[in-house]
Amino acid sequence: MIQNLIDGVLTGSYLSLGAIGLTLVMHILRFANFSHAELLSLGAYCALVCDALVSAMAPFLAVKFAPLSLTGALMISILVSMVLTGVSALMIDRLVFKRVREKGAELSMVFASFGMALIIRNVIGLIFGLSPELYSRDIAFAMMLSADPLILIKPDQVFVLIAALTLMFILHLILSRTTFGFSLRAVAENPSLAQVNGVNLNRTIMAVWLIGGALAAVAGIFYGISHQLIPVMGRDLVLPIFAATIVGGIGSVYGAVLGGFIVGIAGNLALVILPSGYTPSVPFLLIIIVLMIRPHGLFGEARA
Amino acid sequence: MSVTRTLGAALGLSMLSSAAFAQECTTKIGAVLPTSVDWGRPIAETAQFAVDQVNAAGGAAGCQIEMVLRDTQVDPKVGVDAAKALVDLEGVDVLLGAVSSGVSMPILTSVTVPGGVMQMSCCSSSTAFTGLAEEGKTNGLWFRTFATTGVQSAVGAKVAQDKGYKSIAVLYKNDDWGQDMARLIANDFAAVGVEVTTSIAINDAQPSYRAEVTEALGTRPDAIYLALYPAEGTAAVREWISLGGTQNMILANALKSDEFRDNVGMQYLGNALGTDTASPRSDSADAFRAAYQERFESEPNGPGLANSYDATMIALLAMEAAGKDASGAQIAAAVARVTDPDGTPVTADTAGFAAAKDVLAGGGTVMFKGATGNVRFDANGDVSAPAVVWSFSEEGTEEVEYLTLDEVDGFIASLK
Repeated sequence: MIQNLIDGVLTGSYLSLGAIGLTLVMHILRFANFSHAELLSLGAYCALVCDALVSAMAPFLAVKFAPLSLTGALMISILVSMVLTGVSALMIDRLVFKRVREKGAELSMVFASFGMALIIRNVIGLIFGLSPELYSRDIAFAMMLSADPLILIKPDQVFVLIAALTLMFILHLILSRTTFGFSLRAVAENPSLAQVNGVNLNRTIMAVWLIGGALAAVAGIFYGISHQLIPVMGRDLVLPIFAATIVGGIGSVYGAVLGGFIVGIAGNLALVILPSGYTPSVPFLLIIIVLMIRPHGLFGEARA
Repeated sequence: MSVTRTLGAALGLSMLSSAAFAQECTTKIGAVLPTSVDWGRPIAETAQFAVDQVNAAGGAAGCQIEMVLRDTQVDPKVGVDAAKALVDLEGVDVLLGAVSSGVSMPILTSVTVPGGVMQMSCCSSSTAFTGLAEEGKTNGLWFRTFATTGVQSAVGAKVAQDKGYKSIAVLYKNDDWGQDMARLIANDFAAVGVEVTTSIAINDAQPSYRAEVTEALGTRPDAIYLALYPAEGTAAVREWISLGGTQNMILANALKSDEFRDNVGMQYLGNALGTDTASPRSDSADAFRAAYQERFESEPNGPGLANSYDATMIALLAMEAAGKDASGAQIAAAVARVTDPDGTPVTADTAGFAAAKDVLAGGGTVMFKGATGNVRFDANGDVSAPAVVWSFSEEGTEEVEYLTLDEVDGFIASLK
């Protein structure tokens, strides 16, 4: 039980990161972006390539920071991948979503995002093959915190949690303390009014994609560190991330963070009460329950 | 010039054959196989190969055999239509096929059993047929020459017993195959006195199997049994090992993959033993390989070829044993006479069929030594198969133990 709770928090940390980007895009651009989870794959595979390159060029960076399975090369790769994935998200918007947004209706955007998801997923599969990939083939052993009840924690996951919380805190500061943060929120609230007040709409949208993409990359890499990389990881993660976003309330960054942790914990606790065959239903049940009590999610607000 | 020659030759041939078969008749048998997929075609060709050999021995039950082949397209609807046409229009009493359990099942329940036709499948492995037979719903008309998943689960239990594991947690893939395996292995473990601490379904496409693994870990088993595919198997096993779970593992054949070995790591798989069914190591199996190679100029390496050959041969032997104008039920009842362990051994070729004819005509029984070994059906029409226990090695996998058909059968019998 305690173990499940801890595991849930650890799972929740990367779900939250994914959900933050999604909630911003969904709120500001007003469409359900089903390709968002593919940005996680993109970021994770980007880091895989970068990690291999850096390790080959500077072998002294390929040494692990014990007890973590993390290396200096991977640390650098995380930063590179954040930039590249953010730029990729921007490019995808320029090439696809922007054009659809100008001509099509809201539903066209949703379908375009489905298409984009399939393209990204299959291109990754084409390049890397369908088998799982790993940042490190060595298995990082868990540390036993207590024997009875049995509580095990992997050092990597503690790092993931701390790093995720740090990123969230930085984002919080940006949103609540900077002019940029205010303009972001203004656009989300009312794009026309924000423009009238001198907010550059295009630049704000660009920023949203960059932030969303960068956070997605981190989430994907953290997922890869905790588990493994497969081309279909986006497909596996899209539901929990959407659930986190909807539970938290679309548009609320804090809601997304909380939603991520709720979905993570619920997914891990589900096995205590449900037979294992039924656990995939938990994100859906959560969405239904939350929407019945709070139709706009925990932190969401009704839009005029 | 050449046209007249061909015509002349054809005329001569047809006269010859009509003379040779002047007093003979032709009996049709049906075959419903997925000839439109690349691995289905050789299965059908192998069946035809057996028919040709029997015809060379003068046919079965006094008549030449004509195999009417229809495509199933691996689609239950198409398969049922094809089977219906063969039974109703061609009037066959013996139907070979289908390959997939999902196609064989509706044919069995809606065509062959109601029509009183014997159905012999080369390749369906689902234990659902066993269940159906146990309920008495196949009327003894169903046979298959492909071992069920029961063999593998029994060998898994044998490994646990030999290793002295007292308790085992089971992780299984949440699909038909995995559920089947989990159910069978639970019974078999119980039969050898190994406690199953928990049995956990692993769903496809889950981002993490941490919760499932934690659940299994909490029961602190001596070993784990894994009926998983490599993708989720890798994720679950890495999680399991990193959390300090035991490295005593028993693996179903689906994990016999380099991908799984490489991603989990050889250093953690030293105590992992896998199970699989094996092709028999008998003279009759080698003879089939040689005959197949001579006929098709390639090794019989595709799935179900040896099984298809034996299915056809046994069906035709049974027709011979049942005699002329026998019904499907009579032919099905005669299968026991041609797969009798105490009968006269006959080889799987033209000469063997001719020899079997003599023995059967004298009222005796024969033991068919086929491409899959000495085929023996149980009361449900199921066969057993030899098995191997394997482990991972630096190069791939290596055999730890080979269990002959008799050893497998003996062990399965001891479980009941």
